[in-house]
Amino acid sequence: MFIDIKSAVNPNHSQSHIRYSFPLDRPVKALYLYFEYEPKLLDDNAQGRKLLEQSLERYVLPEQKELALSGIDRYLPLSNLITISVDDPNEYRGACHRHDSIQQLFLSESAASPGLLPGEIITGTWTITLSLHSIVTGSCTYHLKAWAEEEEAI
Amino acid sequence: MRWLACELHTHTVHSDGRQTLQELGNGAARLGFDCLALTDHNTMSGLADKQIVEQSAGIFILPGMEWTTFHGHMVTIGLDDYVDWREAQPANIHDGVAAVHRHGGLAGLAHPFRIGSPACTGCYWEYAVQDWNDFDYIEVWSGTFAPIKTDNSRAFSLWTDKLNEGHRIAATSGRDWHEQADTEEPISVTYLGVKNETTIDTEQAVAALRQGRVSVTIGPLVNLEVISAAQVYGLGSIVPAGEGAVTAQVSIDCTVRSGLWALPHPDYHLILISNKGVIADYPLGSSDGLLELQAELPRDGLIWMRAELRGIVRGIRTMVAFTNPVYFE
Repeated sequence: MFIDIKSAVNPNHSQSHIRYSFPLDRPVKALYLYFEYEPKLLDDNAQGRKLLEQSLERYVLPEQKELALSGIDRYLPLSNLITISVDDPNEYRGACHRHDSIQQLFLSESAASPGLLPGEIITGTWTITLSLHSIVTGSCTYHLKAWAEEEEAI
Repeated sequence: MRWLACELHTHTVHSDGRQTLQELGNGAARLGFDCLALTDHNTMSGLADKQIVEQSAGIFILPGMEWTTFHGHMVTIGLDDYVDWREAQPANIHDGVAAVHRHGGLAGLAHPFRIGSPACTGCYWEYAVQDWNDFDYIEVWSGTFAPIKTDNSRAFSLWTDKLNEGHRIAATSGRDWHEQADTEEPISVTYLGVKNETTIDTEQAVAALRQGRVSVTIGPLVNLEVISAAQVYGLGSIVPAGEGAVTAQVSIDCTVRSGLWALPHPDYHLILISNKGVIADYPLGSSDGLLELQAELPRDGLIWMRAELRGIVRGIRTMVAFTNPVYFE
């Protein structure tokens, strides 16, 4: 296992990246990633409305604010969003920008999970980037794992 | 000139779309599009299926990626390689645009006034812009039934403000299309004017968008030309200061994508509008063919002019189509 990390973030970490690197010192057949975070949703809709009302001050013209407020519930429940992207020692290998809070991903020479690019799993330093687009719950825990499927013995 | 019907903002299962590229290609072809740009969030991996989908769906696919960053979403189209979106900070977006340009691509603001975080982080454009000329386009119509939406009105006004300041920047539509769900709402089309009548390639489509040979509509295709004694200036062209008397010629083609849209009793008005305000307003009534108009133009102080087609859509008087500008030195 190259990475097996459990950690927690909070709203102050919103709009930032967290990077985890690991050395791959031997060629492998495939690289696997598991990523999970929870909670996904902010269940407290009253708190959600409060956050949205604050954001409307920034994003909506004063004359349109009343209309925007009347439709605010369509954004509820608010949710956390963390996405994952992968860099091999030389190049970007794609991102999985989707809303699933559990993702099981892989890369190999001939195939990869949607969002990621197939290609040789080369030796060197690999980096997994977690992009914290929005954390709206008081705490959000995550679990990131990375491991390899070894080349078959000759 | 051939006008390619384009959908310039789409997503697949390679990001948060609920459609494969094949499903997207088939759906776009059914709606009469000649071309779509695949602009998945932060990845270009979906392009692996480009050729096979182009052949089976009969549609051209432009490479692209939507920079889905924390401070704004930026659609990039036509680039030959990935450019890293993760270095974007509120004050350095021009570095990202320059990198997109180095790879032969174009950069546009996506839905710049959609509500941002925490409803949709980055959906509202918050990057500092030092030079608007650096951006190739603004997506002024986002989603379906785009012309009636408040966010789009703000984007359209932003575009007009930048034109009035003397910038030359294109405007497009993009459905931000995530799934094959039927809609009764009018669908926008961005027409790109390409010179090759027979084949489509990325270079031509990118050149058309970069140069502003662009006309956007939920129905008829509107074209505007400025004609002098010596020359015809199309959309995106610059009429030189020394040019003599000029005439505007507008065509409104209601036969495009025939059978795939309908605007009953639209009571059209064609408006020529510029930095000097409205130049002409022609009531056209309702038509389903090809209309042509001509107008003499005052040159004094004119820096840009576009055509707008307005009409009644679902009981609402709104904009139906607009061209990109012809510019004047």
